[in-house]
Amino acid sequence: MINAVLVFNNAGQPRLTKFYTQLVWIKIRVCYILLTIYQETSVQQRLISEIFTLVANRPDSACNFLPLPPLLASSSKSTTPTTPYNDTPSLVTYRHYATLYFMVISTSTESPLALLDLIQVFVQALDGLFENVCELDLIFNFETLHATLGEMIVGGVVVETQLEKVIDGVKAQGRVAKRPVNEGKGGLSLAGFGRGEDGVWAGR
Amino acid sequence: MRSDLSPKRVVRRDMRRRAVVSSPVRRAARKAFSVCVQVSGVSEERSSERGQGSEDAADFLRKVGAFWERARAAGGGMEAGGWSRFEKDLYDLIRGLRNHKGTEKEYITASIAECRKEIRSNDMDLKSTALMKLTYLEMFGHDMSWASFNVLEVMSSPKYRHKRTAYLAAVQSFRRDTEVLMLAENQLKKDICSPTPTVISLPLGAIPHVVNPSMANSLLTDLLPRLTHSNAAIRKKTVVTLYRLALVYPETLRPAWPKIKERLQDDNEDPTVTAAIVNVVCELGWRRPQDFLPLAPRLFDLLVEGGNNWMSIKLIKLFATLTPLEPRLIKKLLPPLTKIIRETSAMSLLYECINGIIQGGILDAVEGTAEGEEVARLCVGKLRGMMVIEGDANLKYVALLAFEKIVRSHPHLVSQQQDVILECIDDPDISIRMRALDLVVGMVNTDNLTAIVGRLMRQLRNAPIASSADDPVHDRGRSEGITPYAESDDSDAEESLRPAEQQSNLPQALPEDYRVNVIRRILEMCSRDTYANITDFEWYIDVLVQLVRVSPATKISSSAGDEDDEYERPDDVGRGIGKELQNVAVRVKSVRSEAVDAAQSLVLVDRRDQMFPSSGNGGQGVLEYAGWLVGEYANYLTNTEGVMTSLLHPTSVQLPSRILAVYLQAVPKVFASMSGNDQISWTPERKTLMSLLMARIIHFLEPLSTHPSLEVQERAVEYLELMRLAAEAASGTATGTEHGEFTDPPLLLTQAIPALFSGAELNPVAPGAQRKVPLPDDLDLDTPINTNLHFLLAQAEQEAFEDDEDDVYAAYTQPLVSNSYSSQSLAPTIVSASERLDAPHKEPTSYQNAVEEEYLDPDIIARRKAERRERYKDDPFYIDPEGQHGSGAVTPLGSIVRAGNVGEEVDIDSIPIMDLELERHGDDREISRQRSPRRIPKRVEIIGDETLGPAEDNSSREDIVAPRSSSYRNKKSLLEVDSSGLGDLILDDDGSASSNRKLTRLEIERKEQEEAEMRKALQEVERLRLEMQRASERLQIKDEAVVVRKKKKKVRKAEMEGDVLVEGQGEGNVDGEANVEGAVKKKKKKKGKKEEGGGEAAVEGEEVGKKKKKKRRTVIMDEGA
Repeated sequence: MINAVLVFNNAGQPRLTKFYTQLVWIKIRVCYILLTIYQETSVQQRLISEIFTLVANRPDSACNFLPLPPLLASSSKSTTPTTPYNDTPSLVTYRHYATLYFMVISTSTESPLALLDLIQVFVQALDGLFENVCELDLIFNFETLHATLGEMIVGGVVVETQLEKVIDGVKAQGRVAKRPVNEGKGGLSLAGFGRGEDGVWAGR
Repeated sequence: MRSDLSPKRVVRRDMRRRAVVSSPVRRAARKAFSVCVQVSGVSEERSSERGQGSEDAADFLRKVGAFWERARAAGGGMEAGGWSRFEKDLYDLIRGLRNHKGTEKEYITASIAECRKEIRSNDMDLKSTALMKLTYLEMFGHDMSWASFNVLEVMSSPKYRHKRTAYLAAVQSFRRDTEVLMLAENQLKKDICSPTPTVISLPLGAIPHVVNPSMANSLLTDLLPRLTHSNAAIRKKTVVTLYRLALVYPETLRPAWPKIKERLQDDNEDPTVTAAIVNVVCELGWRRPQDFLPLAPRLFDLLVEGGNNWMSIKLIKLFATLTPLEPRLIKKLLPPLTKIIRETSAMSLLYECINGIIQGGILDAVEGTAEGEEVARLCVGKLRGMMVIEGDANLKYVALLAFEKIVRSHPHLVSQQQDVILECIDDPDISIRMRALDLVVGMVNTDNLTAIVGRLMRQLRNAPIASSADDPVHDRGRSEGITPYAESDDSDAEESLRPAEQQSNLPQALPEDYRVNVIRRILEMCSRDTYANITDFEWYIDVLVQLVRVSPATKISSSAGDEDDEYERPDDVGRGIGKELQNVAVRVKSVRSEAVDAAQSLVLVDRRDQMFPSSGNGGQGVLEYAGWLVGEYANYLTNTEGVMTSLLHPTSVQLPSRILAVYLQAVPKVFASMSGNDQISWTPERKTLMSLLMARIIHFLEPLSTHPSLEVQERAVEYLELMRLAAEAASGTATGTEHGEFTDPPLLLTQAIPALFSGAELNPVAPGAQRKVPLPDDLDLDTPINTNLHFLLAQAEQEAFEDDEDDVYAAYTQPLVSNSYSSQSLAPTIVSASERLDAPHKEPTSYQNAVEEEYLDPDIIARRKAERRERYKDDPFYIDPEGQHGSGAVTPLGSIVRAGNVGEEVDIDSIPIMDLELERHGDDREISRQRSPRRIPKRVEIIGDETLGPAEDNSSREDIVAPRSSSYRNKKSLLEVDSSGLGDLILDDDGSASSNRKLTRLEIERKEQEEAEMRKALQEVERLRLEMQRASERLQIKDEAVVVRKKKKKVRKAEMEGDVLVEGQGEGNVDGEANVEGAVKKKKKKKGKKEEGGGEAAVEGEEVGKKKKKKRRTVIMDEGA
């Protein structure tokens, strides 16, 4: 099951945050007093910044799987390794496209390589919707971004992996706005999108 | 290319300008452009629709909104005129953010304040725009939970665009405990039943995020029909939503599962729906695999048909959980799986096939057969291929994951691939390293242990300790959330490719948690099975000492009482290392002196710079155990005086209280070993030295007797008194003459104090041993020892101070003339006190070992060399590389050989006599200590745990020593879904017996619990409604006193209704408390419905003021009761 999908840019600015499971604030003894101060949103932000610190220092040649960020790792260590499947998020998969990082946090029931393909489909779908998608499109149309994700993943379960159906689904919801034209200086093709197509093996 | 200005934008700007100038026109103008330009114009919407004014049914929400509007209007008309000027949409907000570089915080605060105003307006467009802005800001961590009620308002708008915004806001901001959720149910139900598919999709996507048990119960009936909706997209989303419902409300599956199954079995079903169902079944499958066995034939068909790789992956994962239950599946699965492995072009599918074979236990099942051999070879071969393939780190990573799973059952298969795996330990990618690390722990054995640990040590030693700047603690946004900051220009967001690599100074700094992880793994590998893999314990001790030096600093926790924390902080590896050192010293007698030596060098203050990392407090935890070792095995110490000085050093006081307490215990032990010798005459010299020493100890202990930590305080006070007593005894005992006959030292020093600490030797005890000690038959715990205890205690209290202490004092201070106690074992060699004082601590000297040099620090290597040389000094076959300083290659053996080559007779005199050259290496003298000559290959005796009877396998030390671990395990992870209830549910696979099946006791209990929850939830709804009504009432009473009077008649009616309702609630409560049986349950259910009805009635009459007061009162009474 997918626990969360995050998109943020090279500077760690969130562009999309979607949590499919509710964040449970663990009552760590030390922070107990601070419990009232911590809002859930700030836990989310902490998680994002932790993941960002992890991901930002990775070279492009590194693999696309992250070790668990401290916030998740501290609690999941206690789980017994004998049960192959459980509910704890254990996999952080990411892909880096141009200025954006796409992250998926998931449990061990998801296939790591398939998730990479899923992210690729997500980006291709966005590209199909926006024509040469770039970060600005996603900033100004974050509703469409959410809608696209909603066509692919519902409640943490993948419902669609076919590019055309995803695009059709979003288009059925209404015209997809282009980004404000005077903002942009030019789009960029998917090929310019990080490692793009050639980085993908023949998955899916 | 989007360089040209759009005409639309121009028009829009124009309008904006006009809007600012002329307020009356504003609304109309805004309307117009919002339709033509705004964000995502939904074409099918008609602009004539007005959000407000339509008398929609159940528009109670709207009316409360109206109240807000009125409140605002009443609050300040001037304000109302003012804020319109700043009204802006999402684009403006984003653009504004980008333009306010440096002052984003102020800008955001201002924007949120605007949104607060806008969201209360009557204009639905304005509301939804404000909501969208808030949702955008929420992404950056700005709380919008206060707006949850407004989210509901917008949700109830008939326009799709508004709905979409509101649903998005709900998904992003609602939590399971958001109060208004109960009010949202009706809206969700309504949208689920909408005729337009796009509208149905909205609640389907949102429900998984917010659903709670009571809500699941009420939405279920509306969701089920959607499973047969004509639109495939709706069907598949419904399936997933039902799954999420089942997670919080397992009863969902009872009606839903047969229908889902029907969809799955249907061959004509849309393949994407089938794929979605398979996804859901896979998620459910590992929780309750037995229920899905009957589906196996259909699932198998789907797998063989292939087509959708994503679905195949899920199917394989599902089968991996089914095979343990149904071994016959294995035979059937093997051919298609191997076929896929051989044929597929998708790497992910290939990998999952291998993974499925491993996880499903297929490898085990077919082991021994020819087929099994082939499968194993195929899998491992493919995995190896993934490892060595060039340039794809991802494959390397997943292959390591798969190997890790194999290694538990088939270590031999993995160790064949040792070469490629070991390389991954040094991979530049931390993720791969971590995986490889996990893997090698599993595949370590006697032969490769040294090599693997060597590799890891080299890593630790050669990489710099990560600076504090790399530490996530100091990272921006960790504590106060991320502020969206303005990019200086758009180039960044537009840029096609930015090189991600930032630093290339090699070797890269290792993150601390990785460092900690490596150290832990090394300890784990070495200590496995009570050191089964270690042959050379001296090597291990050196590794431990080296580990202390590379251990990262522990984070100083902010909370105050942290030092007394009995929890072991995960990043404190120092203690782990210390534990190992202690363990080795206790268990392996043959290296005890080496272990104590290591502990001594760690404790010595003047060597602290060398032994510990130069910065931070890394590895400090080791002192706790080193302190214990130097105390417990004080007779092994080579530098007793130095250790004592270090223990008493002023810096010791600053150590954490836990370590300080151990130090305090070590001080008298070391003291006892220094002073306890009764073979030496009590000369004036000795007396002075002892008095001085005791004075130092007293001086050290005195301030500690008021230490905040109780443990430290108690020990300090105890030993302080003891030392004072001893000091008095020492000063009171007359000394013998300088070179006269033997004078006995005070007994307190030679007898009493050493007796405190010597006795039975400490041995490791098995975890369960204590429990196995048989109870003696004659043990009677019930009979009072003294029936007159009370009296005795009272008496003792009176007489407490009348005891004659002088006797005790005299007994210890008067030296006995007879010399019958000879505790020779304590001090085998007689060394005068002054000699002891002078005894220098042993300094390391040297030999060559190319491998160790890479990961051990020079001084450790030097010491090892010296030890080795010492050991082999009589061995003519040992070539000392440094033995002949200056004379190069001439070694004793070498010269003999050379001489032999020349053909001369071997001249005995020409064999150089080895010069020990002890002075060469500093002026330190080797302490004469018996070292056992090295036995090669030596079988080290490791003391196992002591226990009674056969050892229990199941009683792991952790369970007994740390019982809290069980509760710890239950702790929820941050993002975890709680599905514990799901596993208990019994699904009827044929779907027919469900009605007449007997309910188990557990189910009954759960049902009752659920219903109690429902009741509580409904009461909560009621309370909320009342609260809101109360709020509006307060204002309405002022404004509309006339209206209330007019409606008096209606009020009375409503009042009665309310009374009935309250009565019902009261009864329900009584039921909930008294009822255990299932019979009452039905009645309760009815009550629940009644309450609901009552609630609706209350909504109908909600404008009326007076009634609510009364209701509120009764509800409060209810709560009190």
